[in-house]
Order: sequence, then C-alpha cells, then structure tokens
Amino acid sequence: MADDLVEDLEDLYENAPCGYLSLTPDGKIAKANATFIGWTGFSKQELYSKRFLDLLNIAGQMFYETHFSPLLRMQGFFNEVALDLVTAAGKRMPVLANAVVRRDDKNELRFIRITIFLAAERRRYERTLVEANTAAQVILTEEREVARLREQFIAVLGHDLRNPLTSILGVAEMLMRRSPDDQSREYLKLMIGSVHRMSSLIDNVLDFARGRLGAGIGINKESGAPLGEMIVQVVQELRVATDRAVITEIALEHDVSCDVTRLGQLVSNLIGNALTHGADDRPVIVRARTSDESLEISVTNSGKPIPPAAMERLFQPFFRGEVRRSQQGLGLGLFISSEIARAHNGTLTAESSGEETRFTFRMPL
Amino acid sequence: MTACRRNNVHISGDGPRAILFAHGFGCDQNMWRFVAPQFEQQFRTVLFDHVGHGNSDLSAYEPAKYASLEGYADDVIEIGNELGLKRAIFVGHSVGAMIGALASIKAPEMFDKLVMIGPSPRYIDDDNYSGGFSEVQIDELLESLADNHMGWSAAMAPAIIGNPDRPELGEELTNSFCRTDPDIAKAFARVTFKSDNRRDLKNVTASTLVLQCSEDIIAPIHVGEFVHAQLPSSRLVVLKATGHCPNLSAPDEVVAAMRDFVSSE
Repeated sequence: MADDLVEDLEDLYENAPCGYLSLTPDGKIAKANATFIGWTGFSKQELYSKRFLDLLNIAGQMFYETHFSPLLRMQGFFNEVALDLVTAAGKRMPVLANAVVRRDDKNELRFIRITIFLAAERRRYERTLVEANTAAQVILTEEREVARLREQFIAVLGHDLRNPLTSILGVAEMLMRRSPDDQSREYLKLMIGSVHRMSSLIDNVLDFARGRLGAGIGINKESGAPLGEMIVQVVQELRVATDRAVITEIALEHDVSCDVTRLGQLVSNLIGNALTHGADDRPVIVRARTSDESLEISVTNSGKPIPPAAMERLFQPFFRGEVRRSQQGLGLGLFISSEIARAHNGTLTAESSGEETRFTFRMPL
Repeated sequence: MTACRRNNVHISGDGPRAILFAHGFGCDQNMWRFVAPQFEQQFRTVLFDHVGHGNSDLSAYEPAKYASLEGYADDVIEIGNELGLKRAIFVGHSVGAMIGALASIKAPEMFDKLVMIGPSPRYIDDDNYSGGFSEVQIDELLESLADNHMGWSAAMAPAIIGNPDRPELGEELTNSFCRTDPDIAKAFARVTFKSDNRRDLKNVTASTLVLQCSEDIIAPIHVGEFVHAQLPSSRLVVLKATGHCPNLSAPDEVVAAMRDFVSSE
C-alpha cells in the first residue's frame, strides 16, 4: 500500500504535464487546466470566451471542421491529431491532441474532452520527412525519365555503330579474296580482326548497359539450334585475324535448346580472350560436346597461369588482367559471358595452371 | 466495373422517388448515417463514396479526370444512369453540393430537386467577392494536410476497433470512417478549395433548398446568401446548428428542414 503517497487529483488536473480542455457540444471552451492556460498566454477569462476553433490557425480551423469535428461525432474520439494553436502573442504552437466525447445517460453529448501535448520538435521532424519524401519522388521521376532516354540512346547507338562496321567488314573480306599480295593480305587480316573485336565490344557494352538498366540479358531459346555451325563460323571469323592455330573438336550429338547467337557471343568472347592472353606459339582449342544431361563448351590456351587473386574477380564487370595496353578492353567480355551462361541456367568456370588455362561453359539439357 | 461498384453505392428504403446523398471533403458516405435512414420509409435512398474516398475503387482514380469537379459530377450521372434515376432528389454536403449542381446542369431530367448543405461555389476571395479565405490560407491548408496523414490513414483502423461506448456503430467498427488515400485527399482538397463555380449556379434548373449553418467558417452565411441569390429557383434556410457538418451535429434539424421540400411534388 502506498498510503504515504496520496496524489492530489486537483493539482494533477491543473498542473499535469499536458493541457486539458473541456468543450461544450458547440465547441466553446468551458474549462482548461493551468498548464494549458499558461501555454496559450491567454487569461482564463479570455480563454473561456473562445471556441476551441478560435485557437487554431486557418488551416487548422478547416481541418477541425472537415475532419476533427465530424469524426468525433461519428466515432466518439479522435487520437493523434496534429494541430497548430495560435498563442496570445500570435505565435504558432504545434501540438498533438487526443479527443473523446462524453455523453450522458440519455446518450446526449455533454462534453468534448481534449488532451494537448506540445509537439514542435516532432512537427519539424515530420515535416522534414515529408519534404524529403517529396524531394525523393521528384528525383525518382527525373531518374526514370533519364533511364528511358538512356535506353533509347543505347538502342539507337547500337544500331548506328554496327552499320558502318558491317560495311567495312564486307569490303575488307572482298579485298581479301581479290588481293594477290601477302603484304596487303596481312593488313586486311589486322583490319578484319579489329572489326570483329570492335563488334564484340559493342555487343558487350550494350548488353552491360541494358543489364544495368534492369532489362537483363534476354535470350531466345530455340531447340535444334545450329550451335555447331555457329561455333565454326565464330572460329573462322577470328582465324582470319590471327596466325595462331585455333583447333575445334565439335561433337554435338544431342538436340540443344539454346540462344545460338548468344552462345556464339560467349564463344567469341572466350576465344578472343585466349588469343589475347595465351602463349603466341601454342594453339587455342575449342571443344564442344553433349551428353544425355548437359552441353559443355570449353576454350583452352597455354601460357602463363592466371594469378589466384585475379581468379576471384574474373567474372566481375570492368575486370582487366595484366596485358599490353594496346590489347586492353573494357573488361566486360567475361562478365557478359557469365551472364549469358546464367540466362541459360548454366555456369561459366575457369581453371588455370602452369600448363593450360581453360574456360568451361556447362548447361543442363 | 460498374459505376455502382466503383463508387461503393448502397441503396436502402422504399419509395417511388430516389434521394442521392453526396458527401463532401474530409469524409465519406458515413456522414449521412443520422440523416439518410430517416427518409427510408418514403424514398429509395442512394449513398455513395466519391472515387478515392471510403470504400470506392482507388484504382479508378485518374488525376486528370478528377482535377475538376466535372469529373466527380460525371460519376454522379453514371450512377444515376445505371440506377435509372429520373426526377430524383440530390442532397449534397459542402463540395458535394456543388458536384450535385454541376450534375443537375448536365442531366436536368435526372434531378429535379437539389438540397445544398453548406455549399460554396468559391472559397477564395477576389475583388468583389468574399469566399472567406485568401489564396495563401488555402495553400497553407493543402500543406498542413500532410501533418495528419500518419495518424490518419494507417493508424486509424486499429484505433477504431476498440470503441465500446458506441455499440450502434458496431457494424462499421472494423473499418475506419472517412478513409482517404493521402495523395487523393490532397488532390481533392485542391480541387475543392480552388474551384470557381460561381457562374454555373445560374444554369441550375432544379428547384433548390440551401441549408446554411450559423457560424460556419468553411461556408460563411454571406456565401450561402450568394448561392441563394444566384440560383434561379431556391429557398435559403439558416439552421440554428453551428459548424460545417449539421448532418452530424444536428441531424434532426437538417431532416426537419428538408422534409417538406423533398416531400412536395
């Protein structure tokens, strides 16, 4: 029993750490505690001649009439209302209010009781949140528009970059067929090699940009795809531009359902890598085979092994190994290839030892 | 989706003629809970929520359509067409009253009587007209609406469930009253308080009863008098009730004031 602590209820009402207000049914202030009177700066007499409405700023008055008052009538209470009171000195006093109606035995409305808490800090915080949210929405809208333009830009860019390359390649191949002298053929070989490198760079960059925009790498699987022919074609294209031997071992005995253009891009990326990083005097070997369960394509080269630290980051975008500056690419080839593998529910892995470096693509059939 | 489903239409009562009740800014059809039932013996009563309010279909909200009161008036006409309303009575509160006036101009055969409770065709003052508010004050209201959305939209529903002292509201306790989507509420406030429909009033052919509260800061008495003066055929009744929502604070006085008007041929 806490007999020694007898709470003084009158004092609790008058000097509570919150404001108490009682309104008549038509909204006039009938009683207020000392705390509230002190906050407002009005005298008791001044306050008792006012309606609660008169203490609100205009926006608050409109909210009171359109929300606060109707809701009190309908549900008998209204909690956590944010209102701005105006003090005797004309200052804005942000408060939070809870209100409840008191009815008599005949269910007639007797009083509206309101509890008031000061809420200046909270209001500032909430308004800042609202402003931040509004600002974020504006930025989001702008960003969406920028992203849309970027996507359009990429589509147009891809088209416009590929067109001249196709013409250059066509002319170079025609000259290659007609040209009798070795010197010219050597130059044309370099030229065709550069065109292919450029072409796959464009593909990779556009795919990367598209992927980052959320569209991801799209694939169109078709069953019975002429994968073997595609690999042969890719190898032939690359052979034209190199003196290195590229050996193919193709044994595709099962029906493969895949995006043949995308896998061509993957094989082209892997062979390009092998030609860049592999030993000059050893062949690059391309193997493709199927079993009942899976398709496996590997590209192998000899030469210095990939350092263990580099192995971990091989498939990340913008990763570039140590090569001569003139041969540096953007470091997107392996990233895009692994994304193509992923889109086929497959994997792209790398093994590297002193004897050989091998990249293997596997996908289930 | 029918207009009746879109606007959460509820029909009660029995009678040869229909009364359509339209709520105003800040609430939904719950506003009519003490008034509409008193007409069910004599009339078919039709209650609905404007799109974006109460239990209307929020997905039907199109910012462009509802950027003017015409969009809301078109919805009223669609509801009227679906229900085959002819020579019906439109009762509108606050901005709902102006929406009804616009609907009756567009479809005069649908409504031949109009009850406007606390109407205002223009809230913002200009040279020769006092609407009661300055442009700055209305902008302040629009800004301050955001202050109450946290307590308003998300937290309201659970708070209402534990309300034992008004058992007559039991059916509704699981829902909140006057729910609004914050963004839509703000847009509705903008169209409500920034509209100017003063010039439409003279085109209202329906016989009209204007119910005006004493001491209404939203629609002051001189605005009610202005509406009465502009309407070709109207009666103005000043209620003893104060505030902006007599249909909630003094429902019996509102019903008594309406009774003769709606019952006459």
